[in-house]
Amino acid sequence: MKIYNGYILLVAILLLLTTVILVATGQNSLDVYYIVYIVETLIVTELCLYFNAKARRGLNLVSTVLFGGFLFVISLQILKMLS
Amino acid sequence: MLSRNLYTWSGFSLLVTGVLISLTSHFILLVTWLTALGIAMLILSLIFLVLGRTIPKISPEVSDLFLQTGVENIASLVEELGIKSKAVYLPASLTHNGPRALIPLRPNPSLPAITKPLPQRLIVRYGPHSDDVGLLVATAGTTAAAMLESTPGPTLIGLESTLSSLFRGILGVADGVKVVHREDYINIEINNPRLEQRVSWFHQCLGSPLASIAASIAAEVWDSPVVIKQEEYHKKSWSIEIKVLK
Repeated sequence: MKIYNGYILLVAILLLLTTVILVATGQNSLDVYYIVYIVETLIVTELCLYFNAKARRGLNLVSTVLFGGFLFVISLQILKMLS
Repeated sequence: MLSRNLYTWSGFSLLVTGVLISLTSHFILLVTWLTALGIAMLILSLIFLVLGRTIPKISPEVSDLFLQTGVENIASLVEELGIKSKAVYLPASLTHNGPRALIPLRPNPSLPAITKPLPQRLIVRYGPHSDDVGLLVATAGTTAAAMLESTPGPTLIGLESTLSSLFRGILGVADGVKVVHREDYINIEINNPRLEQRVSWFHQCLGSPLASIAASIAAEVWDSPVVIKQEEYHKKSWSIEIKVLK
């Protein structure tokens, strides 16, 4: 389970660091936080090549859900710009 | 089950905490960074919950129990028969049920070419001579090969990625694998192996568990019989030299 722990630890550290950096830069838009989180999680998940097939399938499902959220946020932004 | 519970319980805890923090901070406290932190918790909770479902249902101790029982039985057989010859790892195309190890009953430096699948028996005749008889046994590599989704083509990268995926991702017994191929020899270096390596009569015949798995996979990838020529441990890595028999 070493590979699972390493992956979870990496994602957790990245998300926490991102929060600290975005807070330090004075970022106040929730959309930006969310988009950066999703992009980072998707990249780390894709880079973890050595998961077994079952874990890979499960993480693909998580990636799909997160990507759906990403598209939703982008759509809201586009609608906001158009109106 | 304990590990599975740990991942699942961590996932549920993060899910509840994440929902509470994000809703409270977004609608009551109106703090953006705290809401974002709650969302990060929700993302992590999804990952925990998904990985918790992929943990094997039986504990490593039970797996070790079955492995040791099987190994002890084959070791007794090999030692009783006084077999000193090195095992030849055959691909699934030369056996009937996954890659297996053929242990010749007498030392045979020039093993006859095996062209057709051997019968699915313990004692098999593999050549034209009367003493071309050996034991056809399943090894850890037989089961490990069944865990792979597909077998790559006979390339260096294919073998390296397959072994890395198996040792690092599926079995979790090493940190990485490096493969070098020259002529008929394949050199495999396993970084930071976490499986106990024993030296006994049986292991001199079949090789260490890691070497045995590597040889079975190499035989399967190259679709050709292979033999473990030598193996040694140095500087936190296990070095295995495999010869491909044509």
